[in-house]
Amino acid sequence: MSTDSIASGGIAARIAGFVRRPEAGTLAGLIIVYVVFAVLGGGLFIGAPGWSSFLNMAAEVGIIALPVGLLMIAGELDISVGAVLPAASLTVAIISGHYDLPVYYGVAAALAVGLMVGAINGFLVTRTTIPSLIITIGTMFGTMGLTLGFTVMIAGSTGVFMTPDDISRALLGQFVGGMFRVTIFWWVAFVVGTFYLLHISRWGNWVFALGGDRESARNAGIPTRRLTIGLYMYSGFAAAFVGVSQVITFQSAQVAAGQSFIFNSIMCVVIGGVLLTGGAGTVFGIVFGTLTFAIVNQGIFFSGIDPNFGSIIIGTLLLAAVLSNDSFRQMALSYASKKS
Amino acid sequence: MINIRVLLHSPAAASILSLIGTLVFYVVFGGVELGQLVGAASWLNFAANLGIVAIPVGLLMIAGELDISIGAMIPAGAMATAIISGYYELPIIFGILGALSIGVIVGFINGMLAIRTTVPSLIITLGTLVVMQGVVLSASKLLTGEASVALLAPDWAKFLFGQLIGASHQVIIIWWVAITVVLAFVVHLTRFGNWIFAMGGDRESARNTGIPVDRMTIYLFILSATSASFVGVCQAILFNSAQVSGGMNIIFNVIVSVVVGGVLLTGGFGSVIGIFMGTLTFAIVNQGIYFTQIDRNWSSLIVGVMLLLAVLMNESFRKMALNYVGLKRTKTKAVENE
Repeated sequence: MSTDSIASGGIAARIAGFVRRPEAGTLAGLIIVYVVFAVLGGGLFIGAPGWSSFLNMAAEVGIIALPVGLLMIAGELDISVGAVLPAASLTVAIISGHYDLPVYYGVAAALAVGLMVGAINGFLVTRTTIPSLIITIGTMFGTMGLTLGFTVMIAGSTGVFMTPDDISRALLGQFVGGMFRVTIFWWVAFVVGTFYLLHISRWGNWVFALGGDRESARNAGIPTRRLTIGLYMYSGFAAAFVGVSQVITFQSAQVAAGQSFIFNSIMCVVIGGVLLTGGAGTVFGIVFGTLTFAIVNQGIFFSGIDPNFGSIIIGTLLLAAVLSNDSFRQMALSYASKKS
Repeated sequence: MINIRVLLHSPAAASILSLIGTLVFYVVFGGVELGQLVGAASWLNFAANLGIVAIPVGLLMIAGELDISIGAMIPAGAMATAIISGYYELPIIFGILGALSIGVIVGFINGMLAIRTTVPSLIITLGTLVVMQGVVLSASKLLTGEASVALLAPDWAKFLFGQLIGASHQVIIIWWVAITVVLAFVVHLTRFGNWIFAMGGDRESARNTGIPVDRMTIYLFILSATSASFVGVCQAILFNSAQVSGGMNIIFNVIVSVVVGGVLLTGGFGSVIGIFMGTLTFAIVNQGIYFTQIDRNWSSLIVGVMLLLAVLMNESFRKMALNYVGLKRTKTKAVENE
């Protein structure tokens, strides 16, 4: 009896503890959204077609949303991901498609492009007092122009085709079970890596400290410049990775792809409970936010509702997420002050 | 000498230099004939459509806020006009008023959320942006069944909002200049302008000195959403139809114009003339490239480089301006001591 009550007390305390965690609201939202679309969409959505359609989408946005979320926790924004993605696709397509060099040359060059744009972003953000929103808008336009200019100059058109070899196909462009893109497994790997980085290694503490108060973080001995540049290189790398996986899956690269990822990644992160002002957020929150976003976006096609309502739902979810976070935070702050 | 100094220290300085720099670059490297460029309508039309939205967004930025929902408000304004006056064939005045009142409503919601919560306005307006995109798409689909709605405006509305002066220059250019003059007057010569700068400098202090900070924030959000829907109205009347177009580009174009125009994203610094010049510069970079021998595909690269150069210039000019004020004070002190 007594052990029972202790155990249940422990569970209750754990549940109470979880409910107060920032990602609890996001998880609740995710479950509600899934149930609603499962009811509307029926067997097709609950089965493999539904899961593959939203997981395929979530994986692509999710890989980019992770570093964008880390940057946001550190108090910065990255708009340039929307230009790095097509830049990477076209780098692969031009090197391995147009020039017929081995695919891994193209992949290596594309990832290097991502890392380089990230390094430039980080350098400019740490060396000037210009807000990162403006800097990354600038590098976005710059990367877009370079991509378009070089593509037309070299290939003579705005779309380039390529045929990947079997190995790169299996690693980056495969459809597992005929419908699940292999990117989903890469996303899981990115999640595990980022989870280690943010919640287990000391780098994670540094990221939170950076977003909380940059000046104090520097004074505490945290290499804030190196950390910021590293985070931007991570987001450039992730965007380039998605670009590489897209070109290998679809065997062609377009100049105009990628714009939608800018706001979509920010929305996933914010629905996931990360504060734009920095200092708070979790990897699981970002993952839940990404899944919610993808379920609404794809589930709408299974539900029989006019697909245009999808963006109304997503916008409302976004506002609901930030507003509930806001009131939770105020409650938490006022609760703390009462206690003291 | 003094005049040049004063000019260099004004918020518009970097935008004027960017404008000159762009023109020089295009003339030297692109072989542009200036006369041909000045006579052309394309960049002025582009600038006017952008500029009417850029000024209120710039004012919001001076006040320390951001509005990206304008990206959905231009198609929303056009669609509302076309649905009310084109599809339902009500008098055009209802269409115009309907479109503008949607702007007022969305601006009011943005403003209310911005003042009632601590959520950054970038995120709030990202939410309303996405919602309004969905509303415009599904409203046109549900009400008319199509993604494009035709509109036949009467002559007076055509004359006021959709005229082509000399068969090439859109009448919206005159609206843009008029709005610039009126807002330059309001911002730089009335107390409302001072309030905006005070809000961007330090919101808390502004409130404590008795400035109705909340009311001003709501007005500014209403102004930006309404001017975006006004641009939509003009486009619908000019082109005789409204299309559902998901153009995110306008958001970045507006922000770039404002920032090149010398406005600080963090608030408290900027000028209407600067925003005007910034918009002109952006339009010349974007549209002027068609008059050069440079391949137009490089235009985004030029925009990006110009943006970064302009903000870096702004930063150093601002530092200079701050130092200069300090210098002047010490000088006058020195004079007093003598």
